[in-house]
Amino acid sequence: MSALKWVAVAAAAAAAFGLAGCGEHEQVVVYKQGKYQGKPDTLPWDNAPLAWGTAKWEKGNEKSWEDELKSRTQNQNEYVRIQHY
Amino acid sequence: MARMKFLCDAERCIACNGCTTACKNENEVPWGVNRRRVVTVNDGVPGAEKSISVACMHCSDAPCMAVCPVDCFYHTEEGVVLHDKDLCIGCGYCFYACPFGAPQFPQAGAFGLRGKMDKCTFCAGGPEPDGSEAEFEKYGRNRLAEGKLPLCAEMCATKALLAGDGDVIANIYRERVTVRGKGSEVWGWATAYGQPKGGQKPAPQGAKS
Amino acid sequence: MSNLGRIVGPIAVIAALALAGAAQAQTAPGTQQQLIQQQQQRRVEQPLNNAPVWKEVRSGRPQFTSIPGRETNVLIQSSGQTWRALRDGPITQYGGWLLVIVVLAIAGFYFVRGQIKLHGAPTGRMIERFGGFDRVAHWSTAITFCVMAVTGLIILFGKLVLLPVIGYTLFAWLAALSKNLHNFVGPLFILSLLATIVAFVRDNLPQAADLKWIATAGGMFGGREVPSGRFNAGEKGWFWIGVVILGIAMSVTGLIMLFPNFDQTRATMQLANIVHGIGAALFVALGLGHIYMGTLGVQGAYQAMRTGYVDETWAKEHHQLWHDDIKSGKIQAKTEEGALAQMQRQH
Repeated sequence: MSALKWVAVAAAAAAAFGLAGCGEHEQVVVYKQGKYQGKPDTLPWDNAPLAWGTAKWEKGNEKSWEDELKSRTQNQNEYVRIQHY
Repeated sequence: MARMKFLCDAERCIACNGCTTACKNENEVPWGVNRRRVVTVNDGVPGAEKSISVACMHCSDAPCMAVCPVDCFYHTEEGVVLHDKDLCIGCGYCFYACPFGAPQFPQAGAFGLRGKMDKCTFCAGGPEPDGSEAEFEKYGRNRLAEGKLPLCAEMCATKALLAGDGDVIANIYRERVTVRGKGSEVWGWATAYGQPKGGQKPAPQGAKS
Repeated sequence: MSNLGRIVGPIAVIAALALAGAAQAQTAPGTQQQLIQQQQQRRVEQPLNNAPVWKEVRSGRPQFTSIPGRETNVLIQSSGQTWRALRDGPITQYGGWLLVIVVLAIAGFYFVRGQIKLHGAPTGRMIERFGGFDRVAHWSTAITFCVMAVTGLIILFGKLVLLPVIGYTLFAWLAALSKNLHNFVGPLFILSLLATIVAFVRDNLPQAADLKWIATAGGMFGGREVPSGRFNAGEKGWFWIGVVILGIAMSVTGLIMLFPNFDQTRATMQLANIVHGIGAALFVALGLGHIYMGTLGVQGAYQAMRTGYVDETWAKEHHQLWHDDIKSGKIQAKTEEGALAQMQRQH
């Protein structure tokens, strides 16, 4: 009977600990070794620019990729494209 | 660090649904799913009709992520909300929770049985290696890894839909608003604080845009 | 002072609510017609200020879209946030604590009170308590209930309790299995539940003797067991609150979510999910109590449902009025003696 009692106490403690973790977790970006919070994904700047594309950045360099995208975003700005108002 | 966002200029959207079509074609979206759609508010009412293109807004506090029973969602470093279809069980909870109706389910069987959830990826693919065949089949094109931006915005004919780093597209929009010759009324100060004193006339109608 | 507080308190609350209501009324966005008029006016007075249109967007009212699909014409639905807050908050928290507390309470009851054993010696004369239909209905409901309970708990709590332990790949497989079992066993559960209700409804109708049972909690905490008919008030409570009310509530809300092909709105499914979550927590909590009383709690109870027969002594001690009615011939019940009875006892 005492063994059963210990099992019950351990189960209750485990349940209480489990429950303490219930609810929502804060949503944060954690990128570690090819995984976002346990889900695999690669970083977009870890690719070489396409051979036939116009995009230029240095593989693995986040800053150069962001700069490339920022300059590309200006294609959506017609004031830049037509050069005058 | 870049924080990817969409912005839809309701003054410019002409409800052509080109974004919807471009998205479907570029990403080979499953049958019955539209990752992006155009909704027209006050349709057919002169002087009150506005159209808005809507898709996943890649929320910072994403309701889909909060309610997913298998925790299949993740935020990328660029602020894009992606999900892993290998983990998805097709329960539909993200569809209940999302304010924008972004998560959708291809029908996988009789009686409306849901398949794996599909939603806008900001053209950033999914967990598979970037640019791989497997990634394309499940999530569509990974344009961010190709140094490009979402096609819906890049091909938008009137440039109503903007996509890119939030700061950059906000600057584009701000410049646009300035060129329209408008000031604080665009963000509603006249509504909040009343008309300027001293009999200043409201801005003329039909200014250049 | 405390009396004054008792009066002032509620008045203050009502006044605050009324003020909040008035403020709400002032800032209410108005009907679609009003917003259209405002927008047409605003277009002239303050060109490019589209605040009334954005209020219309925020209202969640359906607009126009050429894209087919469920509620594609709604730009923003706010009720999803309410649903999320309820599901990830109170339902997970209180539901989880309820189940833990019930398990602890049952364990405590078992250690304090122990099994309720027969006082007298078995006579060897067996009375049929549950016929074939009764038992088939009961056990099909019982098995499907357990499947539904376990898979449902995995879907609600698995992410928080199991996922950190077993990892994404294994848990996603388990969750997919749980979802499919939940979906396909659900209809079987509903059919079994209806059969159970048909089988047991007659003897679960309230009787005068139930009042006394309720007043003394059936003598469970010491004292004599109160005489009862075929089912005592505790069993009747489980039947009406658990099987009938919660069972049917689970069935209806479950079907609403199970068949999303009837174009029910998200709000309907959110409401169904909330009712399903609260009801399921109560159902499982009551079910744990029932399972305990039917197995560990009362000697001979499990054998009764398994074989259908109980010893005369068991009937007399636990359901005296039923026993007396059988003895006096008011209720016709099959009885067995000799070899079969011996066999039943050995079980």
